[in-house]
Amino acid sequence: MNVVHPHRTLQHAYRRDLRSHDTPPLLNLRGRASGYIKTPQTPGTLPAKLFCMEINTAAYAANPAYDELLDADCRPRDAARPLFDFIDALSPETLEARRQAVDAAIMAMGITFTVYSDGANIDRAWPFDLIPRVMAKKEWERIEAGLKQRLTALNLFIDDLYNEQRIVKDGVFPIEVLEGSKNFREQCRGISPRFGVWAHVCGTDLVRDRDGTVYVLEDNLRVPSGVSYMLENRQLMKRMFPEMFLTSRILPVDDYPTQLHDTLAALSPRDTARPVIAVLTPGIFNSAYFEHSYLAQQMGAFLVEGSDLVVQDDDCVYMKTISGLRRVDVVYRRIDDDFLDPEAFRPDSTLGVTGLMRAWRAGRVGIANAPGAGVADDKVVYTFVPQIIKYYLDEEPIIPNVPSWLCMYEDQRDYVLAHLDELVVKPANESGGYGMLIGPRATPEERAQFAELIRENPRNYMAQPTLSISTAPTLMDGKLAPRHLDLRPFVLQSDRLYATTGGLTRVALREGSLVVNSSQGGGSKDTWIVDMEGA
Amino acid sequence: MLSRVAENLYWMTRYLERAENTARLINSTTQVLLDLPRGASFGWDVLIKVAGLDAVAAERGIVMDETGIMRFLIEDEDNPSSIVSSIHFARENTRTFREVLPMEIWERINRLFLYIRAEARQAAQGRRARYEVLNGVIEQRQSIIGLLSGSMSHDIAFQFLKLGRNIERADMTTRIVDVNSAVQLPTDQVVAVPTMERLWMGTLNTLSAYQMYRRHVGVHVRSQDVVNFLLKDPHFPRTAIHCLNEIEGCLSALPRHETAMKAARQAWRRLESMRLDDLAPVVLHEYLDQIQSDLGAIHAAVAKQYFHLHQDLAAQTQTNQ
Repeated sequence: MNVVHPHRTLQHAYRRDLRSHDTPPLLNLRGRASGYIKTPQTPGTLPAKLFCMEINTAAYAANPAYDELLDADCRPRDAARPLFDFIDALSPETLEARRQAVDAAIMAMGITFTVYSDGANIDRAWPFDLIPRVMAKKEWERIEAGLKQRLTALNLFIDDLYNEQRIVKDGVFPIEVLEGSKNFREQCRGISPRFGVWAHVCGTDLVRDRDGTVYVLEDNLRVPSGVSYMLENRQLMKRMFPEMFLTSRILPVDDYPTQLHDTLAALSPRDTARPVIAVLTPGIFNSAYFEHSYLAQQMGAFLVEGSDLVVQDDDCVYMKTISGLRRVDVVYRRIDDDFLDPEAFRPDSTLGVTGLMRAWRAGRVGIANAPGAGVADDKVVYTFVPQIIKYYLDEEPIIPNVPSWLCMYEDQRDYVLAHLDELVVKPANESGGYGMLIGPRATPEERAQFAELIRENPRNYMAQPTLSISTAPTLMDGKLAPRHLDLRPFVLQSDRLYATTGGLTRVALREGSLVVNSSQGGGSKDTWIVDMEGA
Repeated sequence: MLSRVAENLYWMTRYLERAENTARLINSTTQVLLDLPRGASFGWDVLIKVAGLDAVAAERGIVMDETGIMRFLIEDEDNPSSIVSSIHFARENTRTFREVLPMEIWERINRLFLYIRAEARQAAQGRRARYEVLNGVIEQRQSIIGLLSGSMSHDIAFQFLKLGRNIERADMTTRIVDVNSAVQLPTDQVVAVPTMERLWMGTLNTLSAYQMYRRHVGVHVRSQDVVNFLLKDPHFPRTAIHCLNEIEGCLSALPRHETAMKAARQAWRRLESMRLDDLAPVVLHEYLDQIQSDLGAIHAAVAKQYFHLHQDLAAQTQTNQ
């Protein structure tokens, strides 16, 4: 009986992808095992209930951090008042029902992130907290200006590094930092991409310290992810709490895909009305695959894998379609430099496209972010950003850096080595919290080992004081408890400069935890920028 | 349209169609068994043969009783054609082209997957739950088809969906028609004739075709009439010939379809010329095999032309389309 069914394509796909993922997944929604520590504070008398919701008063009494929504007496801050007015009108049962509905919607919408463990991919539902993080529009506008200022300066800096290196010649940026940079790509020397912009999409991580000051913690200039979750979080909130949005005080966030599309379209080498944009993904097994397909869908772009593209002798990039080859104008790549083009970078990469760099250098394709843009995504380079802003823009930084010590300078290194028990020490090029020392939580042995590492390779380390990062009330077992969080806005630059309204708020769901990484018990919240004028 | 995406779209609907037809087959078989008279025998293992899964089942060491076979066909993830596997593959395939489908489609397919994953065990174990659960699969699958045709542009992507659906559907119809060839009837004609009639009624029900058969063919359910109807009626949407017509329609909307179209026409002509009256079960079985291999030829031509087109890249360069 010749009834054997034809081959199963997907099984082939599995095999192909498994092979290409011999290297670990490249992209993560990166969190940091941050070293921010809290110290106990004298508890005052706190209300046990906030409107209809119970507050975990013990937890709040012990919370030394700045809370985004509640003041020291556990009363709503001004911007959070409309939120609590709304919650007040709900019964606890209604609230619980909505919470369950949100969980069901997350499952049904398939908002997931992928965790690779034990040789299998596990699709986990996106952990989402109902209580949004709220910020007044006035404060946001200052931050937004700071983000745009920062990305503008960083792009001028990257373009300068790959060309004249004026900032080095002028003695503002030390040559030894440049020489020690892992992400400086010789292959990019002498190239000046359109608009002089290298980092078209930037995810900037912000944290707020105890005194309320917002700091930039890091600039993610390679393949920052998370924006789809920001958009989906808002969709969820609108689906579940449409009433909250009736007052029009909460600013919308959903223009991001259009802005991203236009930012990318501006990079097209051909002057066509509808340039062909492709989102280049490492594939379905990547932890951020959901986001890649989401953005392609929202922008009306093609979602491609490396094997879907080919560079021909004319140095143009084509995708393989059912009717032959079709030229691609702009590649929004979500693959690290190393894997982008086996001809230019790692020859063993199976994720990339042979000849892509050649096509880019010839000006036949736009690539975002440009190869080599990661040179400014380095924790040692980070410490120079205030000087970089001053040098190129002659402005003071609007959002401050976290004060930092550079181990490459002897006096600063001595200070770091003497204060290892109170500092957080980070390596220059790692992300995701790898290879760092959280001084106050480390054992004396760990600190001694780390001191050795610093002495061996001082260029590779920088240190920061331990901040007490802010919290927001989060529903835990039906009670509001403080949980630490950060904020990742996304900033776009090409022919325009754009920042998301707010960004992705990531929250550490475990008590006392500072790890906002979704694979390690992190979750997220909707982020509201609230217009308080006339309120 | 990317070749990889076209291929995944095509397989996505094949998997869904396979899951739906397997559900149909199991449901109607469960019903028919209740009506078999003493002396007639019909083993559950027929379903495995019909689905072409003998080898897989043997390899897996399946216990050939009702529960064993139901578990194999419904929930066994090591059987690539089980209902759970098919829907799982369809869902995973859908992920790779979410950007070309209306957003709700992903949600529906995801929901179908979550549903069958939760209910499969129960459906495998008891007849009562089985009927409900498998009907749920059929209904949800139908709502996906409805949503697709009502909310998706009838563009190239749509043609690949339709192509996969019709190739798989024609294939499954021939397999379902094949089920009765495995029934051992009692020798007593007084019992055998009405039994056969009930079996064919069951076959029609499997394909939701009973009512239309009665309207267009007649009240009597005779095997040759049913076989003729299910293979050659041009109007009922699950017949082999109807699917072949749909396949031709899809192909004519695709670029460079000559080879695949030739294979489709060949299949159509061969089916059209088959004389299906008063066939011995063995001969019918051979005819059905022929149709299945003709469908395989269409698949091969489609795969070569659209999915694995790029062996000769330079020859086909076109800068814009």
